[in-house]
Amino acid sequence: MRRRRSGGRAARQAERVANHIEQQPFLTRRLKPVEVLGNEGLEIIEHNADIMLEEIGVEIVDYPEAIELFRGAGADIDGTRVRFPAGMCRELVANSAPRTFTQNARNPDRSVVIGDPHTVFAPAYGSPFVSDVEGGRRYATIEDFRNFARLAYMTPSLHHGGGTLCEPVDLPVNKRHFDMVYSHIKYNDKPFMGSVTHPDRAMDTVDMCRILFGADYMEENTVLLSLANANSPLSWDFNMLGSAKVYAEANQAVLITPFILAGAMAPVTVAGAAAQTLAEALVGMAFTQIVRPGAPVIFGSFASSMSMQSGAPTFGTPEPALMLYTIAALARRLGVPFRSGGNLTASKTPDAQAAYESMATFVPTVMAGVNFVLHTAGWLEGGLTMGYEKFILDADQAGAGQALVAGVDMSETGQAMDAVRETGPGNHFLGSAHTLANFETAFWKSGQADNNSFEQWEEEGSQDSITRASQTWKRMLKEYEPPPLDEAKDEELCEWISLRKASFPDSNV
Amino acid sequence: MNEKQSELLDELYAAVVEGIGKSTVSLTVSGLEMNIAAEDLLGNALIPALGEVGDLFESGEYFVPEMLMSARAMQAAMDILRPLLAETGAKPIGKFVMGTVQGDIHDIGKNICNIMLEGAGFEVIDLGVNVSAATFIEAIQEHRPDALGMSAFLTTTMLRFAPNMKELREAGVLDGLVVYVGGAPVTQEFAEHCGADAYAPHANALVRDLKERLGVASR
Repeated sequence: MRRRRSGGRAARQAERVANHIEQQPFLTRRLKPVEVLGNEGLEIIEHNADIMLEEIGVEIVDYPEAIELFRGAGADIDGTRVRFPAGMCRELVANSAPRTFTQNARNPDRSVVIGDPHTVFAPAYGSPFVSDVEGGRRYATIEDFRNFARLAYMTPSLHHGGGTLCEPVDLPVNKRHFDMVYSHIKYNDKPFMGSVTHPDRAMDTVDMCRILFGADYMEENTVLLSLANANSPLSWDFNMLGSAKVYAEANQAVLITPFILAGAMAPVTVAGAAAQTLAEALVGMAFTQIVRPGAPVIFGSFASSMSMQSGAPTFGTPEPALMLYTIAALARRLGVPFRSGGNLTASKTPDAQAAYESMATFVPTVMAGVNFVLHTAGWLEGGLTMGYEKFILDADQAGAGQALVAGVDMSETGQAMDAVRETGPGNHFLGSAHTLANFETAFWKSGQADNNSFEQWEEEGSQDSITRASQTWKRMLKEYEPPPLDEAKDEELCEWISLRKASFPDSNV
Repeated sequence: MNEKQSELLDELYAAVVEGIGKSTVSLTVSGLEMNIAAEDLLGNALIPALGEVGDLFESGEYFVPEMLMSARAMQAAMDILRPLLAETGAKPIGKFVMGTVQGDIHDIGKNICNIMLEGAGFEVIDLGVNVSAATFIEAIQEHRPDALGMSAFLTTTMLRFAPNMKELREAGVLDGLVVYVGGAPVTQEFAEHCGADAYAPHANALVRDLKERLGVASR
C-alpha cells in the first residue's frame, strides 16, 4: 500500500499555486510602448484636431452652464455651438491635469496608480444583458451585478472593480445607482467607478464615498473614477458633462471617452477618427480643468470599425488597433493617462470568434501602453452582454499582461550564461542551478487552458474551455467570502441609502 | 409607351440603382415632360430599381453608403412626384415616423433604419433624438403615417416605450398605425411587454416586416 504523503507537500503545492496567482495591484511597464506613427504624423493629427475645434466646434446640448464656463475660459460661443481658439483646450489640459494619479481603494493595498508607466485592468462596463452557457442570454439583474462584483474581487488579474458591471434592469432607473455603488463597496475592496446617468446620481455617489472615506480625505484624495462619453460626432450632453462637473468639483477622476463607430460617428480612416477623438476628448478634459484645475482626468478612446454592409460594429479588426496605437501616442504627448481597448468582440458566446477578436484587441491594448483598461473581462456581443464564462476566460488571459509589460530581463539572471556554461552541449536544462532557481516564476501559466495529453483530457470529460470556465465561476461564487467592511460604516451607508431612497418616488423615466 | 419613353425609364432605373441623385432628378423631370405618368415613373422605374438595390444589399454586394445614395436619389425623385401622385389619388408606398425616445440621444441605429426604409421607398419623417410622447403624437396627427418607430439605446430609456404607448392610446392615434420599438437593449419579449405592435431586431428586418404588414409588393 502506498503511504499517504504528509501534509507538507500539499501545503507546499497550495502555497505555490497561491504564489503563482499573486498579482501586483497594478502593472508597471518596463516594455516600451509600440508606436505606429512618427512625430510628423502625430503633429498633423493634433493640428487637424485644433482645426476641428476652431472651425467646426462642438455642440453643447442642454447645458447652458457649461457653455458659460467655456466662454469664460476663452471659447467663442454661437448659440449652443462652442468653438475653441487653436491650442486653447490643449493648454488647459497640459497646464493642470496630472500625468498620473492614485485612485484609492478602501483597502489601501488595492489602490491603483493610473498613468505611465502603469496599466490597470477593470471588468467590462454597461451591458444590459448577461449570459452563461447554461442560462443563456437574459436581462441583467442586481444579483448578476453582485456576482460580477464578487468575481472581480476574487480575480487577481483585475486590479479595479469597474463600474456598471451590468445594468440591473430589475431596479427602478432613478435608484439603480444606490445598489450598484453599494455593491462595489460591499462585495469588493478594489477601487470602482461612479454613476454618470445624471448629475444628481453622481452627487449621490460622491456622498456615499464621503461616508466611506471621509469628506476631508476626499478633498485631497481621489477614490472615484467615472466615465463620461462624448456623443460623437462633436457633441457633449448635459448628463455626461454635468456628471463630470460633479466629480471634478469633488476632486474625483473623470474618464473622458469619445465612443466612436468609425464610418458612422467619425470618418472611416484611422487618422480622421483619431483627430476627431482627440478634439472631442480635449473639450471634455479641458472642461474638467476649468471646473477644478488639477482634477484627475483620463483621456479615453473607444473606437470600433463597422460592417459597411450592415452598419453593425465590428471588433478585433486591424483598423481599431491602429487607432488605439495612434491615440495612445497622442495621449502621451498631451501628458495625461490613457484609456482604451479591452477584450472586445461581436461574438454572442465565448467561442473561437470571441477569443481571436478579444486577443486582437487585448494585445494592442497592452503593447500600446494603455494605462486604464475598461472592458478587460466579460465583454460579448459588442458590449450588449456580460458573459460569465467570457469573464473567466478574459481575466485568465489578462493575467499574462503582467509578464508581457515586464519586458525582457537583461540582468545577469536574465542573460543566463551560468545555465549554459553548467549544462553544456547535448544535455538538458531541467536540473541546472539556474533553472532550479527560476522555474517557478519563469513562465506565466494560464489557469484555464488545457495543455494535457489527449488521453488525460479525454479522461477528464473532454471539456472545452467554455465548460471549464463555467465550472470556475460557479466554484468561485460558492467559495466567495466578502472582504471585511467596517460595521459602523456599513450601517451608516445602508441607513443613508434607505433614507435617500425613501425621499423620492421610484421612477423609470 | 414609345421607345424614347421606355429608354428614359431604363435610364431612371439605372440612375437610382447607381445612386446618382442629380440624374435621377433630371430624368424624373424629363419623364414628366415626355408625358410619362407619375405612376409609371414610380411603378416602372423607381420601385423596381429599389428592388434591385435591396437585392444587392441583402446579398452583401451593396454597402450601407451605396444604399444611402440610392435612397437619397429615390427620395429626391419622390419630392417631385409626391404632389402629382397625391392629385391622382395614388397612394405612396408608405409613411414612417421615426424618433429616439426622450432622455436618449443615440441615433446611429435609428439612422440606419431610416436609410433602409427610404431605400425601400418609404417616406420617413425623422423626429431626431430626445423625442417626447407629445411630439410623437403631434407628428402622427400631422403626417398620418402608416407606422411609427421608437428607438432606445439604453436600459434606462427603453422604459419610455410603455408610458409612450399609453399616451398614444389616450391620444387616440393608434388606429391603423403599426408601432415598432427597437434598439440595442430591446428584445421581442420586452416589445410585447410594452404594448408595441412589433419589434425589429435590425434594419432589414424592419423593412421586411413593414412591407409584409402593409401588403406592399416588394419587387
